[in-house]
Amino acid sequence: MTAALETQALGRRYGSQWALQGCTLEIPRGAVTALVGPNGAGKTTLLRLAVGLTRPSAGSVRVFGLDPREQAAEALPRVGFLAQEHPLYGGFSIEEMLRVGRELNPGWDDEAAHARIAELDLPLEKKVRTLSGGQRAQVALTIALAKRPELLLLDEPVASLDPLARREFMQSILEAVAERELTVVLSSHILADLERVCDHLVILATGRTQLVGSIDEIVAEHRLLTGPRDAAEDVTRMHDIVRESHADRQTTLLVKANGHIYDSRWTVHELDLEEIVLAYLGQDAARRREAVLS
Amino acid sequence: MTWLSWRQQRTETIVAAALLALLAVVFVPEGIHIADYFVSHHVARCVDSQTQACSLVIGNFALSAGTLGALFDSGWLNLVPGLIGVALAVPLLLDLENGTIRLAWTQSVTRRRWLASKLGFAVGTVLLVAGCLTLLLTWYQRPFAQVYGRWDHFDFEWIVPFGYALFALGLALAIGVLLRRSAAALVVAFGIYVVGRIFVESWLRKRFIAPVSATLRSQNPNLHNAWVISEQPSNRAGHPFNGTPGVFQHCAKVGAKGFKILDPRCMERHGAGFTHVVYQPASRFWEFQGIETALFGGVALLLIAFAAWRVLASD
Repeated sequence: MTAALETQALGRRYGSQWALQGCTLEIPRGAVTALVGPNGAGKTTLLRLAVGLTRPSAGSVRVFGLDPREQAAEALPRVGFLAQEHPLYGGFSIEEMLRVGRELNPGWDDEAAHARIAELDLPLEKKVRTLSGGQRAQVALTIALAKRPELLLLDEPVASLDPLARREFMQSILEAVAERELTVVLSSHILADLERVCDHLVILATGRTQLVGSIDEIVAEHRLLTGPRDAAEDVTRMHDIVRESHADRQTTLLVKANGHIYDSRWTVHELDLEEIVLAYLGQDAARRREAVLS
Repeated sequence: MTWLSWRQQRTETIVAAALLALLAVVFVPEGIHIADYFVSHHVARCVDSQTQACSLVIGNFALSAGTLGALFDSGWLNLVPGLIGVALAVPLLLDLENGTIRLAWTQSVTRRRWLASKLGFAVGTVLLVAGCLTLLLTWYQRPFAQVYGRWDHFDFEWIVPFGYALFALGLALAIGVLLRRSAAALVVAFGIYVVGRIFVESWLRKRFIAPVSATLRSQNPNLHNAWVISEQPSNRAGHPFNGTPGVFQHCAKVGAKGFKILDPRCMERHGAGFTHVVYQPASRFWEFQGIETALFGGVALLLIAFAAWRVLASD
């Protein structure tokens, strides 16, 4: 079965600046993936490429094996997208927004859309421009879900929401995933927003993919090692070093382990996801500092 | 898609319809009054007559146009097709400005279909409104056209308003996709519309087809409702008269009924007595309507195509 989303050396350039470069990843069907990275890492660009809003400058992107730009007629009905600013027609009522969804989507589930709005306690005749940020986000999500996509892309869906609206929004996504087979990709620069709902993780930094995989595997693979400085070289040969720090005689390594670490000179600690993500993002920040200095 | 396109331009369509209604309220009663006057005072009979009684009838008829005649002469009505065209570009420009284009493009319809529907609605509405406008004004002007010919109101009648309105729509769309700021784009587009119209009307139009020149033996030749571009006293060969006004006194003589008239032979001896006219004959009216409509309509289509290309290729 083809992956829900697959990219090969995908890149997008604006002028001389690469917003995304050499991005290769594969997101399996049914996964709920957190797309994490600092601001400007290319998260929005990646999602926009996946839904065909943007054309690649290099490489390729496929959703369910389809080119979202060239095969838009087949690909578009299968992908839902929620832009960061939750664009809606301000002068329309909620009822009219639902009609937009109905008119533009052959697979539209009108009953589910109305049920969700009723559940949210939103009057159908209320104008979109009078809604709060959280309500707008919910209406936009309702439209994206009622389209019945197989892949749902959400760009910073909760960035503009207060904590309560954030929780309700995430709850809605969990419910949607529980109801039927749905692949979801959510981007955020704050991992805490996503950790509760996601089972896969993509770390994107300086426009490149740093890490792709299921969260369980990622947590299982990464270890913090402390040990003598002179033993560091042996570890480097075997495993990928994410971050290292050296004191006088003691060295601390955060490694992505390729297999078990048997060396008895090292004390091995387990890590939680946030520590791992921070290590990758810290690595990225260090690299950027170097780039500026050199 | 059809419903969305309609819903998005509902406000603009209502505004355009209200503008039309306002013009209809002004023009319809007046038009009925003038058509009645034309019939009841037998104006048609005097069209080609030179008698004094008839010139009085024609003169009174001209006065019956009143303030609306002044409205035509002032040229303000030229702005109406521009306003209509620019207004109907607003829905698409707002989509671009507000980012709602990203909402539409991530539903299940392709960009091409979405754009075809939106442009189809905008162009269709512009043509419909321009059609109502030209119908109203052409109908209103009909009695006057029988007396003075059609050139006087070339800009308001028959098919040219379609070209003008489309031109304004195309300008607003093309400038809008470049600037991405609707309000600024509308102002700039309307400015260019006015400048373009003035340029064509005052400079280009008379050059569509080389005008006819003629030297006629008369102070006031009858050119059968031609569009007179220039007219000056001249000698038989058409060279302009360059004598002094004293000649007119010198050649004046008292005619049969006691009126002072100019002696033609005396005038001719002094290098005058003729009128050199440059004009477009009335028979070219339709040709000119066609050329002007094709010019504005053609530029409009290019501008709309440019805007469509920019929108489809954007990302």
